[in-house]
Amino acid sequence: MVSDEDYVGGSDDDVDIGASSSRDALAGTRSKSTRANKESSGFEVTRTWENLTEGADGTITGAVEGLLQAGKRQRLLKDTTPLQRGIIRHVILILDLSVAMQEKDLRPTRYHLTIRYASSFVSEFFEQNPISQLGIIGMRDGLAVRISTMSGNPNDHISSLHELRKQEPRGQPSLENALEMARASLFHAPTHGTREVLLVFGALHTADPGDVHLTIASLVKDKIRARVIGLAAQVAICAELVAKTNNGDRSNYTIVLDEQHFRELMMELTTPPITSAQTKSSSSLLMMGFPSRTVETHPSLCACHSRPSREGYLCSRCGSKVCSLPAECPACGLTLILSTHLARSYHHLFPLVNWLEVHWADAWRSSHCFACGRPFPDVPPSERWGDEGEGLSGRYECTVCSRHFCIDCDLFAHEVVHNCPGCQSGRGVGDAAKGDIERGVDAVMEGREERAGLATNGNAKGDKMDTG
Amino acid sequence: MNAVDGSQHYEQSSSEQNPSLLTIILDTNPVAWSLLSGTLSLSKAVASLLVFINAHLACNYTNKVAVVASHCHTAQWLYPTSAQQHLRNVRQAKRRLDDSGPIVNDQLSEPTKRVRINGPKDDSTNGIKLKFNIVQRKPIASSDKYRPFRVVEEELLDNLSKLLSTTGPTGISSNTSTMVAGALTLALSYINRQNSAFAESSGGATNTADSAPPNASSRAAETNDKNLLHSRILIISVSPSHDLAHQYIPIMNSIFACQRLSIPIDICQIPTPNAPSSSTVFLQQASDATKGVYIPLSNATSGGLLQYLMMAFLPTQSSRIHLVLPTRIDVDFRAACFCHRRVVDIGFVCSICLSIFCNPPENGDCLTCGTHLELGDYGGRPMVVPRQKKRKKPRSTLDQSRVSTPTPGPA
Repeated sequence: MVSDEDYVGGSDDDVDIGASSSRDALAGTRSKSTRANKESSGFEVTRTWENLTEGADGTITGAVEGLLQAGKRQRLLKDTTPLQRGIIRHVILILDLSVAMQEKDLRPTRYHLTIRYASSFVSEFFEQNPISQLGIIGMRDGLAVRISTMSGNPNDHISSLHELRKQEPRGQPSLENALEMARASLFHAPTHGTREVLLVFGALHTADPGDVHLTIASLVKDKIRARVIGLAAQVAICAELVAKTNNGDRSNYTIVLDEQHFRELMMELTTPPITSAQTKSSSSLLMMGFPSRTVETHPSLCACHSRPSREGYLCSRCGSKVCSLPAECPACGLTLILSTHLARSYHHLFPLVNWLEVHWADAWRSSHCFACGRPFPDVPPSERWGDEGEGLSGRYECTVCSRHFCIDCDLFAHEVVHNCPGCQSGRGVGDAAKGDIERGVDAVMEGREERAGLATNGNAKGDKMDTG
Repeated sequence: MNAVDGSQHYEQSSSEQNPSLLTIILDTNPVAWSLLSGTLSLSKAVASLLVFINAHLACNYTNKVAVVASHCHTAQWLYPTSAQQHLRNVRQAKRRLDDSGPIVNDQLSEPTKRVRINGPKDDSTNGIKLKFNIVQRKPIASSDKYRPFRVVEEELLDNLSKLLSTTGPTGISSNTSTMVAGALTLALSYINRQNSAFAESSGGATNTADSAPPNASSRAAETNDKNLLHSRILIISVSPSHDLAHQYIPIMNSIFACQRLSIPIDICQIPTPNAPSSSTVFLQQASDATKGVYIPLSNATSGGLLQYLMMAFLPTQSSRIHLVLPTRIDVDFRAACFCHRRVVDIGFVCSICLSIFCNPPENGDCLTCGTHLELGDYGGRPMVVPRQKKRKKPRSTLDQSRVSTPTPGPA
């Protein structure tokens, strides 16, 4: 970790930044000490060998599996109350490209890791938000550099990020310049969408030509929300930026712990933000075209790139041909989308409920995962339930259909499919089976006669089957 | 990304063909099959399907297959035998053991059954009563069969006959559609599990520099990797599409999951004779979005079905690159509005809940979420900017001159 003095010394050519810069430097040292505290406490936590206890067979397999499951589970639990979210997003991603990004505390370097994660962020962003717009800005040499303009096409952004990989990080970052450029890019964004700035900040200072606080105030005025990921330590100006643009909520300012954590934080940003009464953008009715695909016998030029192609979509209002969707018609400005693009955002609006861990006491109800058929661990005798911990039954129950699933299906259902395999599979046979099991329990409870009755029932069913 | 860290050359070592997992979703909607019974019965279709499965298994000894039934009120595994059925079998066995001592019931180790569904010749109350004829076949006939073939055939027929025998008239009359969404979700979960199992067994060949956490996007990246299990889904669909509207969101969710995992969805659409134009819009979109094959059968006969299956659906993804695939050019992407189910070219979308309307709703309140929406002036005539007169000064002089001249009038 390079000390703050290095950065401040590097920025001594910016004499006029005065107050804000020195304040930032102060904040940097203060937060650095907190980070040191955090690191030491983090070190305490990572002594995982103390959590390991030997199982009855003298191995630690069970404990290790439990830890793995807990890790997977942790990633999974999120708030699933259906909240109003800003589905149509206008986002500017600001990347720090200053010398601070040459640090190797995140391997291979902060710079390369940021670009790599930014590329995966872009593709994930458009997976999750197909009708949203994204632009990328870099901070380098005290300037704001436009890396890619606002557009809805992920390939543009990814290719310009790819170009960036060949360059080196240089100079000082300037928050003010970058935020002003972001504000200018978002100025024309329609009011029904969100306006967001996502900042990946590696340095601990900013070299600004004017007063960054004025910029923050104007961001607030323009209803732009900022979210910041810090790579080094918490910086007061970023905290202020986040707090002021999010109604005093500082939870959107996060500091990276390691590479894995960095990635998680980046991916978290792909989820549309929750809109509250204060941050609510105006809701309006949007006119959109749903064009049909055409294939012509001879290639013709598309209106968006002027490239000859045979396939394309004809604008439903003016008939100009665009080569890919979603797009805005270059001729008449109508938003052209496929109905599937709208459907892609529905899972944000109707999230799948979290599944609950099943205690050993209920674990007898299932022996296999309902979705993939993987066998669950057998239920141990009840005297050993206590010391094994709750999660170890390996079963997760959907509260709606009350079927049991394994941890992998749980993750898969919540992160990829957004469907519950149990609820979608209908209740008919499942209910029958459940009834069957319950009857089985009754039979165990009530003795032999009941079971005999059941058996005759089964036979009667069989008879019907043969004669039918 | 592999080109950067130079790990590319490690991955080209195996010349062996990767195994492929074929997941078949068989639409067993009794209503549709009873309509079809004149031309193609379910048993004949299943026989064709078994030949097709055998062909797939014979292509590569590591190939795998899974079959899900998308029934009228449930989606259920046909092969491999689902856990719940397994559980029930075990329970039944236990119960029988308790009841009748050590005598092993022969129903447990059931030999292959043949399912035959006869059409609704005896017209019962609702005309959709099915008749099951379960003919016991001699186990000797299949004993010299290639074992994987036999296992699939036995389990599939066994589970199918169980499924059909548990279907009562109440189940059919309550729901005439089919649970495609559930079947797709089950299939995807199974594919996911097989994928991870295969990745583990192949020795972490996918671990490149960025050993990815198991979250969604990295998984999608992994499946692009060549060293993974190739999976694909084949839906044999007989039900008309308009019944699927209430499953729209789950179906779409599964389609997007397939798209992310690059799993093609192939559709074999068997038309029902009464409604020949019942092309399933969602399934068309599914195959189009996932780059799968969509083929509507022109005539539904068993020989025809087998030929279509073998010719169009047998090639794996790796060999499909070299083939000219049947594509559909007229996929209907137009949306249906939420208010009148009218198919629209230009619609109005609520910015909060993304509902589609054909006309701006009354008072500007969204019909789905109730939010008050600003309408704008859509649909109004565009305002015409008045043309400016070219020279201002002469006009004013002209006006003045006009004013100065006395107007002739009655007064």
